[in-house]
Amino acid sequence: MKRTLCAGVVVLALTVAGCGSATSPASTPTGSAAAGTTKLVVWDWKSGEPYAASYIEKAKADFAKKHPNVTVEFVPQPFEQYYTLLGAAMQTKTGPDVMLFNGGGQIRDRADSLLPIDEYVAEDRSRLAGWEAFAKDGKTYAAPVTLQGHPIYYNKALYEKAGLAAPATTWDEFLANCDKIKKATGAACFALGNKEGIGPQFWLSGLGSGVLTPAEYDAWIAGQRDWKSPHVKKIFEMWKEAGDKGLNNEGANSTAMFTDIFSVFNTGKAAHIIGLMSDIGHWKDFGEFIGPDKVGVMLAPTVTQGATPSLAYDGGIGYAVAKWTKDPKAAADLVRSLTTTDALSSFSAEAGAIASDTTITAPQDAPAVGVIVFHLKTGKPALHVAMDSKTIDLMGRLSQKLLSGSATVDEAVEELAASDQEN
Amino acid sequence: MPTRNTSPVVRPGNPGRAAEGGTKERARHGAARRRGRSERLAPYVLIAPAVLIIVALRLYPLALGVNFSFTGDGDANGTAVGFANYLELLDDPLFQTALANVGLLVLLLPVAVAIPGLLATFIYLKVPGHRFFRSVYFFPAVLSPVIVGAIFNLMLAFDGPLNEFLGAVGLGPVDWLGDPGVAKFAVVGVQIWATFGMALVVFLAGFATLDSSLLDAARVDGASLRQSIWHVIIPSLSQTIQFVFVTTMIGMLTSMFGLLYVMTSGGPEGSTYLPEYYIWIQQGQMNRPALASAASTVLFLIMLVVGLLQISVLRRAGRED
Repeated sequence: MKRTLCAGVVVLALTVAGCGSATSPASTPTGSAAAGTTKLVVWDWKSGEPYAASYIEKAKADFAKKHPNVTVEFVPQPFEQYYTLLGAAMQTKTGPDVMLFNGGGQIRDRADSLLPIDEYVAEDRSRLAGWEAFAKDGKTYAAPVTLQGHPIYYNKALYEKAGLAAPATTWDEFLANCDKIKKATGAACFALGNKEGIGPQFWLSGLGSGVLTPAEYDAWIAGQRDWKSPHVKKIFEMWKEAGDKGLNNEGANSTAMFTDIFSVFNTGKAAHIIGLMSDIGHWKDFGEFIGPDKVGVMLAPTVTQGATPSLAYDGGIGYAVAKWTKDPKAAADLVRSLTTTDALSSFSAEAGAIASDTTITAPQDAPAVGVIVFHLKTGKPALHVAMDSKTIDLMGRLSQKLLSGSATVDEAVEELAASDQEN
Repeated sequence: MPTRNTSPVVRPGNPGRAAEGGTKERARHGAARRRGRSERLAPYVLIAPAVLIIVALRLYPLALGVNFSFTGDGDANGTAVGFANYLELLDDPLFQTALANVGLLVLLLPVAVAIPGLLATFIYLKVPGHRFFRSVYFFPAVLSPVIVGAIFNLMLAFDGPLNEFLGAVGLGPVDWLGDPGVAKFAVVGVQIWATFGMALVVFLAGFATLDSSLLDAARVDGASLRQSIWHVIIPSLSQTIQFVFVTTMIGMLTSMFGLLYVMTSGGPEGSTYLPEYYIWIQQGQMNRPALASAASTVLFLIMLVVGLLQISVLRRAGRED
């Protein structure tokens, strides 16, 4: 029996030891300042991509010159799980020292876990564009790497077939053009994928500058959103009108945005798409299918008098510093190394992204980039980026209801106003 | 079965014995007492690993999660907010939809059980090609929900093969995944398709215990197929049917996330939300971990009720046995 007891004690001891190691963190990701060397851990969803390899190498080399005693470890995470993993890490205050963020709601919602980096990045202010997307209450939390925006792309080949020389500048003219294209080529006016409810974000930011007056636009971005304004309502009426008049491809509510809808535009089944500037669904992707010289970029058609159409763009992705990092100066310097002109040139060239660095020249073989870069000077922050993520999520569901006819524009705008004011 | 006589029988020493025998007796007495104590402690020590694992890895995190659900999010992170998260959940039409969809799943449960039951019956009755069907029916059960979802995304796309077929036979296209009234049934249909293989195997195992002389007797008495199923097969398989009911219900409530994520993302119009998808969205996308904890607690309570029902059903089935 003594043997039984002994065996029991051994099992118990092993279990306790097992539990202990299972519940304690496997490693300490935060910088541990041991014997003069520090380690910075970076989380992102880019560094594992082949196109980012030389960008990361250049950034690392630049950082090594400034901080030879600090090692840097990049941990690429899957994007689908990124904010879930990051949220868990932030709750326990044991996360990476430096991390990548999308601009807008994603970083603003988490600003209380981040370090304001204004004092460290003052020198980069004028060289980089897109800071606003990473700022909250006057403090900057990340340095922009790319610019993300919502240009309206059009298929020049379809325009030529319909005998159209240039894109429309007013909404009525635009609708008439769509009619001509439909008759000549059978293509839909818009390629719209709204399965996830992302469509209205692109719609609002792509077309909003043609509807809101400059004063309304600036007030919207500054947080004074007048949902009772007829112009705001007009944007959603246009969304419904596009659905009701059959301007979108069929089955928009069941077509996925990032996987399926771009192929609708790429195969010439739709003449226009409100796409992105960087990463995916942009000039480079479209150019590979319909030819770089056939990808056109247009500004929003004017809907209301006094509106001045502009390109909607913000900082796309940017690196931020965690509040809990042990060496804020080194972490901020790493962020600066990740946004040098040299590193960003590599990223821009290989990823096909519009980099945040305004001193980088656009590639010559893609005319659409030239147009986008030209419009950056007069561009404004995107309307949907200024909204909180809960209202954006609600807008996605309401936009599906507007297309299916189970909600009216008045109901949708009223619900959005309530959610926007609450959050 | 535990018996009451597990404690060792320790005989009292005889005080009338010789002195030299008395020392030996005391030594034996002490050893027996030690043995008695170690035997009393042994069961506790032996179950300690299991208890520790359950307490440390299950109950403690559960208590932490429930505790967390009474705190706030964002600026109120870490401060107690009472039942505010639960009140918000009750107010949220999206969570209401998620709960209503749980109810819908329960209502659709008989269909999900009847399909493998009927198909297993046909295989048992050796319809032509039954060997082929037996292996083919099980095939989807080995596919991951993500792959199943991707396959049906293509099949059910607006310009996909199913709508093309409907168009060819003169029926209008159906927006399988874009119409809120249709999408939830489409997803449940795919879930049933993907998982009925496992239930089918359980049914076939149940049929193996079926007394074939009963069926023969029914046939001799002139019973039709329907009568054989109703009066012979179903009563004989009642325990198997109950088991399949319970396991299918648990499967539907806890393993549809992958399908939802791939096929509808909770849409259209939020019509295909289930509590676990809601939890994921709140935690991962909305940065509301405390609200997600509250939703998790509600889901836990639902599963607890389902689990207790399951135990009572199985216990009743056991008694009948």
